[in-house]
Amino acid sequence: MTAYLPWWVTAISLAVITLGFYFANDKTLGVSGSWTRVVQWKNDKVLDEESASFIKRPKLFEDALMAATIAEFGQDEVTRFLESRHQLDQKPAVDRVQAPGAIARRIHWTVHLVFLCALILGGVIGAMIRGDIGIQMNMGSVHAGLFGTGFAFFITMFVGGALVGFGTQLAGGCTSGHGLSGVSRLVPASLIATMSFFGAAIIFSMAIQYLT
Amino acid sequence: MQNSTIQDYFFYTVFGVAMGVTLSLGGFADFEQVNSLFLLQDITLLLVFAGAVSLCMLGFVTLCRKRKIAKKTYNGGTIPGSIMFGIGWAMTGACPSIALVQLGEGKLGALVTIFGIVTGVWVYRTIAAPSFQLDTGVCGE
Repeated sequence: MTAYLPWWVTAISLAVITLGFYFANDKTLGVSGSWTRVVQWKNDKVLDEESASFIKRPKLFEDALMAATIAEFGQDEVTRFLESRHQLDQKPAVDRVQAPGAIARRIHWTVHLVFLCALILGGVIGAMIRGDIGIQMNMGSVHAGLFGTGFAFFITMFVGGALVGFGTQLAGGCTSGHGLSGVSRLVPASLIATMSFFGAAIIFSMAIQYLT
Repeated sequence: MQNSTIQDYFFYTVFGVAMGVTLSLGGFADFEQVNSLFLLQDITLLLVFAGAVSLCMLGFVTLCRKRKIAKKTYNGGTIPGSIMFGIGWAMTGACPSIALVQLGEGKLGALVTIFGIVTGVWVYRTIAAPSFQLDTGVCGE
């Protein structure tokens, strides 16, 4: 079994992946979002149907946009705006709604599923490179010492997993989305989130260590 | 709205595998490594994180000056959600990507974590989100 990579090699690799992912896909790297899309795969069907009808009839899309604008600002405000533009003899701000293409590109949920499966494959390859591949039923002796084995182990993993799932959705991101993609751009919400999850993990781990 | 192309499948596969291999080789899928980070006994992984963030910052500043990248907004869910995530990470040694990497390495306990993640995401999106009314968004969209 080979040792883990030096820290700076892993750091460079993660940075290249985070930046490369953004430039290749025009989306910021965020694994918790892939989970959202895969778990909510049925929503894609509804979106597909809606966007298909807009592609077929762009006029319908314009009408929907206008209806939403009126709902937001009120009929009077919209009429006033349109009249003011008319008086100035300007071209409308949006000449012709570039209907379907104008919306942000949506990655299909199956792509997100492929992404999650690729992470599993990455784990297989990584373990093979280190010569450490093999079926293991627990998470090692340290984990067993802290949380127990058997039924206690299952409860720990399930409750912990549920906290990870629920927590990342509530927080709007995880280590990749808030941590890497967010902190590196100094996004305030991401800085707060990252400090919170590292802080909570440190306090919880120290408390468990102290208690056992 | 464009549908996903073969290019999306290709890039998501390449970056997924690369990320999985990196996390595995870097020791992120090893509970002992993660636990000793949280106990502040071995800060190797913290150095990795700080190094990666610094390099990304350099990259985003030099390469993305004119691009407008969507920023996450702070809301009432940011702190409680992150605290829940941090505790879950300390219990399982897994964040949303690492549970999958652990499974790939042959650690079958990660299957329970993955089942937990799916349950947690489902409960939030279908039961909790409609009543919380927070604009938490979908990460990476």
